[in-house]
Amino acid sequence: MTTAVFTHASALQHLAPPGHAERGARIEAVMQALQAPAFATLARQVAPRAAEAEMLRCHPRRHLARVHAALPRDGWAMLDPDTYVSPLSLDAALHAIGGVNAAVDAVLAGQLHNAFVAMRPPGHHAETERAMGFCLFGTVAIAARRALDHHGLARVAVLDFDVHHGNGTQALLWDEPLAMFVSSHQMPLYPGSGAAAEIGAHGQIINLPLPAGSGGAAMRPLWQAALARVRAFAPELLLVSAGFDAHRADPLAGLNWDAGDYRWLTRAICDLADACCGGRVVSTLEGGYDLSALATSAAAHVAVLMERGR
Amino acid sequence: MSEIAAMSFEEAMAALEQVVRDLEQGTVSLDQSITLYERGAALKAHCEALLKAAEERVEKITLGEGGAPTGATTVTGL
Repeated sequence: MTTAVFTHASALQHLAPPGHAERGARIEAVMQALQAPAFATLARQVAPRAAEAEMLRCHPRRHLARVHAALPRDGWAMLDPDTYVSPLSLDAALHAIGGVNAAVDAVLAGQLHNAFVAMRPPGHHAETERAMGFCLFGTVAIAARRALDHHGLARVAVLDFDVHHGNGTQALLWDEPLAMFVSSHQMPLYPGSGAAAEIGAHGQIINLPLPAGSGGAAMRPLWQAALARVRAFAPELLLVSAGFDAHRADPLAGLNWDAGDYRWLTRAICDLADACCGGRVVSTLEGGYDLSALATSAAAHVAVLMERGR
Repeated sequence: MSEIAAMSFEEAMAALEQVVRDLEQGTVSLDQSITLYERGAALKAHCEALLKAAEERVEKITLGEGGAPTGATTVTGL
């Protein structure tokens, strides 16, 4: 079995005004890094377009209708001070959802050991009826619900190490006892939520707020303890919201992680997956806005997935 | 941040409380959040510097009232 990266050209067609941090060059930087000789055996797969109905697993139809109605004929339209849509944004978001869903299908079918989805827009800030923080739809939460409802898994876990709290994923899975959610994030920082006291309707959510300036030494014991709790939950699939903006070079946050920290955390996640679900990990890109740090960190993340996929 | 340097302790604390409220209420955009955090850090540093200066003044007064200062620093002019 092997490791695959899923992407699609539509990721470059979701546009925001010049200077916006969440830009197509992010995907180009990641894919460029994955061209290095070390990634020669990485399988490349096309992220297919999800049916619009996939969104309904987490959002009401009127949210989809609102995003649809906001799509401009050309240029871009602002949904909130951070979040823009352009004519092909819905297409990109559907390919992002389709990419994660296809990766889950392949991993559950035993065709892949694990996978990374390099798509945008990201998803972990999108709430039930609110696009925000560069995100339109709750991509990873949709995949979690689909794994439960469509594939009939008994339990899944979503692990989110983006530097911002995964408020959208938390909101969408707040009352889902079969989905555990762990998020580490700088606090206080956007979006303001993610205190340790926020534990979900069934105690199935773990928030790990991290102080500004902290690095791997602060993060590692917290994740170790959280992953031990996830292991006790015995998920049958691990989904990862992989944001690389906790890197010290990131312009939108103030943590001090480096590529080695992403390597460590990815190994810890893969150890957990080996112990509880046959190594099944599907990871999807969230944030990460310094192109060089993003490329290096995502490459470190994927390299570990490949080590474990051999 | 020169605007902060000119603030009184009370002004800086009020501004810091507003920054914390804004960050916690999620009314700040993702793009601006780190800038606001940095303003908060500068306000906090300014408050701490003002507090430290005030503490040093209190120490001097204490020494002055206690009679003969013991250290190398002679407290005069109090």
